[in-house]
Amino acid sequence: MSDTTAPIWIDPTDSQHPETPAREVPTNPYLPHQVTWDETTRFRPKMYLVGRLRYYYKWPGHGGALWTRTRYWPTRRRVLNIHGEYNPKTMRREKTIVDKRPIWWMLALAAFFLMPLFVPVSSYNTVMSAASVFAIYAAINLCWMLVVGTAGIFSLATYAVVGAAAYGTTYMAITLGLPWWVLPFAGMLIGLAFGVLIALPAMRLDGFYYALLTLGVVELCRVYVVQSRQFGSATGGLYGAPSYLPAWLSQSNRLLLGYYVAVLLMILALALYRFVDGKRLGRLLRMAQEKKEGFAQACGVDFIRARIMVFLISSAALGFIGGFYATHFGGASPNLFSFDTLLLSLAMLVIGGIGRAEGAVAGTLIVVFIDRVLIDLGPLRFVLIGAIMLGVVLFLRGGIFGIKSQFRAWRDKKKSERRSTRAEKGGEMLPEEATEVEDKDQVYFRRFDKMQRDFLKRLVSDAVIAEHKSKPLGQHSEALERLLIYFRRQGQIDKYAIMVLEEFKAYRIVALSGHRGTAPRMVEDRNYETPDEAYHALFLRRVQDLLET
Amino acid sequence: MNWGFIVTNAITLACIYGTLAIGISVTWSSLGLVNMAYGFIFALSGYGAWLASVYIGPYPVVVMAAGILTGAFGGLIVCLLAFIPIHDKPNFPLRALIATLAISLVGNQILLWWFGPRAKSLPRLFGNWNADILGVVVTSDKLGASLSAILLLTLILMWMRSSRRGLEIRAMMMNPHAASIVGIGVRRTSIYVMALTGSLAGLAAVLLAQTYYVAPFSGITPMIKGLSIALVGGLGSIPGATIGAIMLGVNESLTSTFLGGQYVLITQFLLIIVVLLIRPRGISGILDKAREA
Repeated sequence: MSDTTAPIWIDPTDSQHPETPAREVPTNPYLPHQVTWDETTRFRPKMYLVGRLRYYYKWPGHGGALWTRTRYWPTRRRVLNIHGEYNPKTMRREKTIVDKRPIWWMLALAAFFLMPLFVPVSSYNTVMSAASVFAIYAAINLCWMLVVGTAGIFSLATYAVVGAAAYGTTYMAITLGLPWWVLPFAGMLIGLAFGVLIALPAMRLDGFYYALLTLGVVELCRVYVVQSRQFGSATGGLYGAPSYLPAWLSQSNRLLLGYYVAVLLMILALALYRFVDGKRLGRLLRMAQEKKEGFAQACGVDFIRARIMVFLISSAALGFIGGFYATHFGGASPNLFSFDTLLLSLAMLVIGGIGRAEGAVAGTLIVVFIDRVLIDLGPLRFVLIGAIMLGVVLFLRGGIFGIKSQFRAWRDKKKSERRSTRAEKGGEMLPEEATEVEDKDQVYFRRFDKMQRDFLKRLVSDAVIAEHKSKPLGQHSEALERLLIYFRRQGQIDKYAIMVLEEFKAYRIVALSGHRGTAPRMVEDRNYETPDEAYHALFLRRVQDLLET
Repeated sequence: MNWGFIVTNAITLACIYGTLAIGISVTWSSLGLVNMAYGFIFALSGYGAWLASVYIGPYPVVVMAAGILTGAFGGLIVCLLAFIPIHDKPNFPLRALIATLAISLVGNQILLWWFGPRAKSLPRLFGNWNADILGVVVTSDKLGASLSAILLLTLILMWMRSSRRGLEIRAMMMNPHAASIVGIGVRRTSIYVMALTGSLAGLAAVLLAQTYYVAPFSGITPMIKGLSIALVGGLGSIPGATIGAIMLGVNESLTSTFLGGQYVLITQFLLIIVVLLIRPRGISGILDKAREA
């Protein structure tokens, strides 16, 4: 604290006695109190460039078309959720597209429709057949997503329904000679009947018991179909269903037409998903989430009924897809029931993220691409799919479409951790304490007092203490005067005072109680002989208390 | 009608499937994990035993020990990949189920890629002789399989009853939360449990390979049978798994004798569905409360 280049303070009151030289004392260099303010209020947190704000492009609003909205006729529903507001800074009207998902969907569907134009000729057959497989699997997965995501029934019997419908319709087409356009509807009936059969245990069983049971049902179907002679155990599948493709089409045009019809099926499945998940049934089931069923039931939501409804609707849709599968591929193979098919389509759901339509479609796209287009990899492509699936399950909470929200949650957690580490100790009142305090001025006073103490601590130096020792009363240098004013201003409770035991002989330091009628308390067992000594000892004691806080 | 044949068949099948079912059941009740990679562990330990029989020698002890050790190793892989990283994360049971399915997908395909699709056969561990017990002719592999399964299961159950580690596992089965409060490490116990259940799968693989073959996908049907037995018996209950194994073993041998082999799964699932409709948590499962993971 000792400063060799300490400036000299000249007592200004000595100018009243110009005949004697003025008193000169070494003191602190000038320290403006602004420095403490600047240090305390400086913005310290480390900021990163990425992701500080949610960025929305602000579209200009046209004055003439201020309130026009494109709506789906005849509803009042808007095509895009556009939020409009007046910006007082730029004095312009701004439009923000709050939900961009419809745009992405339209772009994706346009890409699906234009895709055949850009397929290289060399791999046309592979890619186009893979693409129609993709569209059919995406439709199946959307219906499955309804069961798993919306209804919350972890059923693995999806392919059992599809396969049963495909086998049943093929068998009926062969025996009864049905035309192709009857097959999906016949499949729908079969799917519904099958759905009723496997929905029965779902009312009694829950969670994993049901998952394991449905896994068994799939295995049962596979074994039955493999061993049954009338379902083509010898030929490795049952074939002979009529195809919807006209016989006179060329090979590449057949692929093209098949692809477009399959995409149409996928769009139908998307519409079904939207109308089940986004309407009454979906809302009811969103209320009855896992472990909150009791609450929903208490509110009068018959969630079991809603679940069974969703299950039956999606079973019927799966049956429809099964019938379409039969006409598309001309029959059904036991491969539909195999454990690998089940695993692959579960991988599709999981990679995309359970509970969202875009997840089902994107996951199907990824898995079908790896499975059907990268055929050269051999068994390793399943290893690749499994590794992606494992990674997604271990690290992501909601598949690839949940990455954004998961990243935001992680970033917010980190933010709040940092915020709590940089909270000022001592000066800030905690929120719970601040609500308890009657006088809200105290909140601000404490913050100010903290800052003031921080400043005063930096004023304490050997020079200041020596100055006080040389002359405890009277005019002081600026630094010492600030300290003394702060000490004198403190409240009466536990304020140090000097008690005169015997005038000019014995003085002692006490602490006032602050209450009338209560005697002051002894602080130390030491007598001072002169008042100046006592004053200085009291000053030192106060300085020590200041430095300790 | 050869009743002796039916009974011995039923007992053998019950022993082998019961071993699998007890493994699945213990995993579920102590860790809250439905181990769908059990079929993979089964196939892996079959290959382990086969490798040992080829490279070390077709001694029964060596082959069996190799199978059991490979099974324990497979269990450890599953534990390290699918249990330890996510056991305290949200939505654990579903994620663990999917993770074990993914492991099963990857593992089976690696087995297929490495060993090829051709099935391997293990040497006959129990010789080639017949025994005559009370007028019933029993072949050596059936007798050996039943006896060794019963012997090893009894050893393991006695270990679980009497040792410190077994006490920890049983505490986890009763109440995992309370077990972790009194200082039983969830991760450490999970390693014991998975190694133990993996070795049970390895044992079953070696025993079943006496009748069938070792192939990359040979584990799936036994796993589904084991799961259904565990389901019928009530997940988490060892006596229940035993009863379920006996029930389904009797059913399987009766059906294959009277109706034919292709109806086994159908009658089996009808039986399971009937049992589960009467008792939704299995024969000896606790009725009102499932394990809350």
